[in-house]
Amino acid sequence: MSTLQLVVNGIVYSSVIVLGSIGLSLVYSIGNFANFAHGDTMAIGAFGALVVAIGVNDYLLGPEAVVSVSPTIAAALETTVFSLPIWFFVALLVGMAAAAILVVVTEFLVYRPLDTGSIELLITSIGVALAYRALLILGFGSDPQTYGVGRSGRIDWVSESLGVAITPRDVVTVAITAILVVGLHLLLQYTTLGRKMRATADNADLARVSGIRTGEIILAMWVIGAVLAAAGGVFLGLDTLIRPRMGFEMLLLIFSAVILGGIGSVYGAMLGGFTIGMAFEMTAALPFVGTQYNAAVAFIVMIVILLVRPTGILGDDTT
Amino acid sequence: MSADDAAIVHREPTEEPVLSLSGVDSGYGEMQVLDDLNLHLEAGEIVCLIGPNGAGKSTVLKTAFGLLEPWTGSVTLRGEEIGGTEPADLVRMGVGYVPQTDNVFPSLSIEENLQMGGVAREDGVDDRIAELYDRFPILEEKRAAKARTLSGGQRQVLAFSRALMMEPDVLLIDEPSAGLAPSIVEDVFKNVRTVNDLGTSILMVEQNAREGLSISDRGYVLDQGTVRYEDVADELLDNPEVSKLYLGG
Repeated sequence: MSTLQLVVNGIVYSSVIVLGSIGLSLVYSIGNFANFAHGDTMAIGAFGALVVAIGVNDYLLGPEAVVSVSPTIAAALETTVFSLPIWFFVALLVGMAAAAILVVVTEFLVYRPLDTGSIELLITSIGVALAYRALLILGFGSDPQTYGVGRSGRIDWVSESLGVAITPRDVVTVAITAILVVGLHLLLQYTTLGRKMRATADNADLARVSGIRTGEIILAMWVIGAVLAAAGGVFLGLDTLIRPRMGFEMLLLIFSAVILGGIGSVYGAMLGGFTIGMAFEMTAALPFVGTQYNAAVAFIVMIVILLVRPTGILGDDTT
Repeated sequence: MSADDAAIVHREPTEEPVLSLSGVDSGYGEMQVLDDLNLHLEAGEIVCLIGPNGAGKSTVLKTAFGLLEPWTGSVTLRGEEIGGTEPADLVRMGVGYVPQTDNVFPSLSIEENLQMGGVAREDGVDDRIAELYDRFPILEEKRAAKARTLSGGQRQVLAFSRALMMEPDVLLIDEPSAGLAPSIVEDVFKNVRTVNDLGTSILMVEQNAREGLSISDRGYVLDQGTVRYEDVADELLDNPEVSKLYLGG
């Protein structure tokens, strides 16, 4: 495989990791604990989207459709954009909404009433992670599933001119990730909510005494983190199989991205996520190292960078 | 008119104190720090709390500002009970608080720090920021710099200004001179005086007891969570017993 191809694969995979890392970093800097349920929040997003996929594929379209829809609507639903049916984008939004609702409910039912220290919250989040996964297994079983959107071919002109296989879905994943990341940057830097989030991450006590209602900021943090994680989960489900453990299996990579970037720094998480994703995919370019060691290579890259910069790439900055 | 009154004669007499703590017990978790504490702040005053380390001076401010809930007793603002009221609400009721340490947002710019101080303003923050820039030109000069790059004295000016964004009637200041070089301490106290001259009543905790009392109208000496002495600041400075026990002779 050409190096350019590996770079392209790295960028696509990095997108998923970046989307996961940001929320983990936000919760660390504002909520003040390492959230072990964050990987499972990604899975919730993927399954939220799967609900729409099942609804469309099994109930509206297909040979055994339960609800009969007019051919015009059926055709509209099957219209593809970037080789994805239009309903997939609705499914993406539903996945994001499902994760946002679930984390807000969790905040009110679990974290807020506990009102305890960061170690206790970390341990609690392991329980929350197990509960999320159990919920998915109860609802969907543990068999791997897909969105049923079929396979996507490569973009011809790119493979002809550059010799690189890029699918339209890769473009969607990277483009939507870029939009979300830029949107988050604009929110953090140029809106009052963003400044309040940065202030709360910097010094929650001072934020409180300044008159910032930090409870509302924590809710915003949960929603933003969950929405991004869910998008990452949905894109991951597009590339791999959708399973209840899919998010949990990403957790180690996401944690390493956040630590590499400088724990608590959102921009660090973006850079860390990119680095880890690239290292993961670029393993194939290394001599004598099989791709089965891709996670190990990513972790070695993390360790090496931390040896040089022990606080991570942007370790001195919060949010 | 007694000698005691002379020191505060330029103050408007008021019917009730702006801030009052009566019979307050308070503390952290199981540990009691304040024991039947009584003190008050009249409109326009600077009141200084002095006392040895661990006397409960900062705890008084935290209890007054809703960061700690009083176990017993009452905390009132203009006669209204505020014990345990959320700081975010107190800020909207005209109370400001400048913590002793970590009193700026280090990774936010100076201007953003001021914006955060004014989040509860309904009329926007720009005019107020302009006023504070006029008063403290160093802030305008460094408006885009991150607060972490400021010197200790500049940081203290920013910490005050952040609290002043809401134009509070009552300002609680925890050890404004802590960790600052003696040459800067003078400036900091001058700023406290300026803020007071503009009509803000100030309750200040100060380890630097002589300097703190010298700019104050009244003072309280706290020891083991309760008030040992209470007097006009000049009288406390002249009190041989207070001087010996609490002012280093």
